[in-house]
Amino acid sequence: MVALHGPATVEQLREEIQGVRYREATTTFCRLVTEEGQPIKSAIKEAIASAAPYVQVPAHIMRLPTGEMRGVNYDHTILGWRGAISLMREFEGARGILPSVQAMWYVPQGLNIWEQIICEFPGHYARDGEQCNRKFPGPDDDVNRFDGPAWTAPKIYFEDHDPIEGGSVEDRLTRLTWAIAEGNREESYGLFLGLARDPANREQLKNAVLFSGIVDLQDTIINRGGYQNIGHKALRARALVDIADYLGWDNSHELMYTVVPDLGCAPRLHGLWTEINNLCKMELPGYAAIPKRTEAPLSENELDMLTEVLLWGGPYQVNDTIMGLFKRGAGILDITDAVMACFQRYLIDVLEHPFAFLHPTHAIDYMNVVQSWIRNHDHPHQVKAAFMAARFMNDTIRSNAMYPRDPNYTLEPRQNYRGWADEIAVDRLLPVLKQYTLAQDAPRACALVDSYLDRTDERQALLETITYAACHWQNDPHVMRNCASSLEEWRHNRTPRRDDIIRGYVKHQSRYVKRAPTHDCYEVFKEHFRPNDGSER
Amino acid sequence: MSEATKLGELWSIRNAAANTLILSEAQMRQAVREATVDQLVTLIEMYSPARSTGTEWTRTFEPLVERLWAWCEDDTMAALADVFKARGMPWMAVANSFMPEHGARIRASLRQPAWARMPAFVIA
Repeated sequence: MVALHGPATVEQLREEIQGVRYREATTTFCRLVTEEGQPIKSAIKEAIASAAPYVQVPAHIMRLPTGEMRGVNYDHTILGWRGAISLMREFEGARGILPSVQAMWYVPQGLNIWEQIICEFPGHYARDGEQCNRKFPGPDDDVNRFDGPAWTAPKIYFEDHDPIEGGSVEDRLTRLTWAIAEGNREESYGLFLGLARDPANREQLKNAVLFSGIVDLQDTIINRGGYQNIGHKALRARALVDIADYLGWDNSHELMYTVVPDLGCAPRLHGLWTEINNLCKMELPGYAAIPKRTEAPLSENELDMLTEVLLWGGPYQVNDTIMGLFKRGAGILDITDAVMACFQRYLIDVLEHPFAFLHPTHAIDYMNVVQSWIRNHDHPHQVKAAFMAARFMNDTIRSNAMYPRDPNYTLEPRQNYRGWADEIAVDRLLPVLKQYTLAQDAPRACALVDSYLDRTDERQALLETITYAACHWQNDPHVMRNCASSLEEWRHNRTPRRDDIIRGYVKHQSRYVKRAPTHDCYEVFKEHFRPNDGSER
Repeated sequence: MSEATKLGELWSIRNAAANTLILSEAQMRQAVREATVDQLVTLIEMYSPARSTGTEWTRTFEPLVERLWAWCEDDTMAALADVFKARGMPWMAVANSFMPEHGARIRASLRQPAWARMPAFVIA
């Protein structure tokens, strides 16, 4: 490839990110790797570092002049990177870089969220959600100035801090979790930096921040407007842990600056956590000793009952059902695996409107954080996380069900296309699946997956096909994050219904609302990395 | 209790519930036919997420829409569509439920078996 504009540099990448020139930044990112020989890990670190000072907000709730409150979105740049890093190993060759290019494409669009929602800075919130160009148009009717570039420098709402050291590790970890819960961002960040310096502390530190993120979760999103976090504190904590392990903890200062201060940002929501604490205190006094897995996982009948309660029951029925399963001797992962599998019936059978996937799939991603925490760490409160994740899932269903269904978005039943799918030879089915996933034809894509699952035990190529097709869509880090969650959960799930995770996954990726109708980012990726993905034909 | 007796009693209970439902459907049909457009609008407004008593209530919207298409004249349905269409995006799902294309689909799907007193409505 010919370098038309001189060598690509990290300084150039930084300027383009901070100037909200996402197309140029993505090209520079690709050129750093393909022309300058920069390792992808190093390019990702530089991109994270360039965005780090500009992803904090004063609060995730904004007081309006009327005295009312509105929600302020959470940073998604780091969530895109976490998904991209996880997906790298899913594809052979250059295709594994596509999710990273998508994450890069999003980063310049996701800075300075506070200014974006008041239409004082460009990016995807200002351009899409807030429709700022309609409210404050520029001189050229054909140009949406909120697509970038920036006309002002992004603001820094939280300055970098020095590490806080001194005191025992146990004391500092306790202070850290309290500082996060109380909203003392300076102290929590400083303590984290101090503790992270010593490799011996890092496993405990991961455990502590995951716990802090998981317990901060709204009790309901029904009619709450922005007074919720839809699991974002937990999602951030998981991103920190995964990306630090990938970059190396000694190479992750900017990552920590990106994530840790926001864990204590307002509002902090511990109502559900308090409820589940009370419940366990009264009904499960031995909760800390409950094993992770037992020889008594859920029966088919119990899976049916759990599905019924998650999809159609109320919050206290969910509490009662989970409590009943613990009391009869099920282990934590026996139950959380079952919750993850049973919840898929909502995606598979019920969800239709493309906008209605947003909250339920956040609940899946939250559950993925809970599951990975339980799988990889020990903590006396892990039983309670099973209740919280199930409640979150049920709440998103109930929240969607507060709105009458729109008959204009009714989906044809997938069964209508089963005969058609069965006539396609198994070894020719996956390219067809890719085609219908890219066409966002959920009934056909789902029928193809049903047919494939019934006719072969092969799964890796199936998952790769869905995931690679999903990663063609730009401007949305949710895609990579949900891909990573779904793949990880399918691999670990031990219920007889784990393939339902694939059925729910393909429905989501072939129906969820897209933020852009074009694949410009994929084209940039293709130009620079020349993946062997059949797109040349 | 023998299994046969238990089945018989369960079937009697089910039939009694069906009779109660049929009588209440008949009362509802009469009330809907006598209602003005304004009165129907007031009923439908109870499906606002801000007023709904919960998801169990909201899930009864589609059964109601089915009955309105079965029991109301076309001009009443058109008036309802106009009212909710004018309220913009938040009421779009409701307005779309009163569009003639949707009504045609519902009316085509309702069947009245020879042995039944009512069409096979959605119950819940």
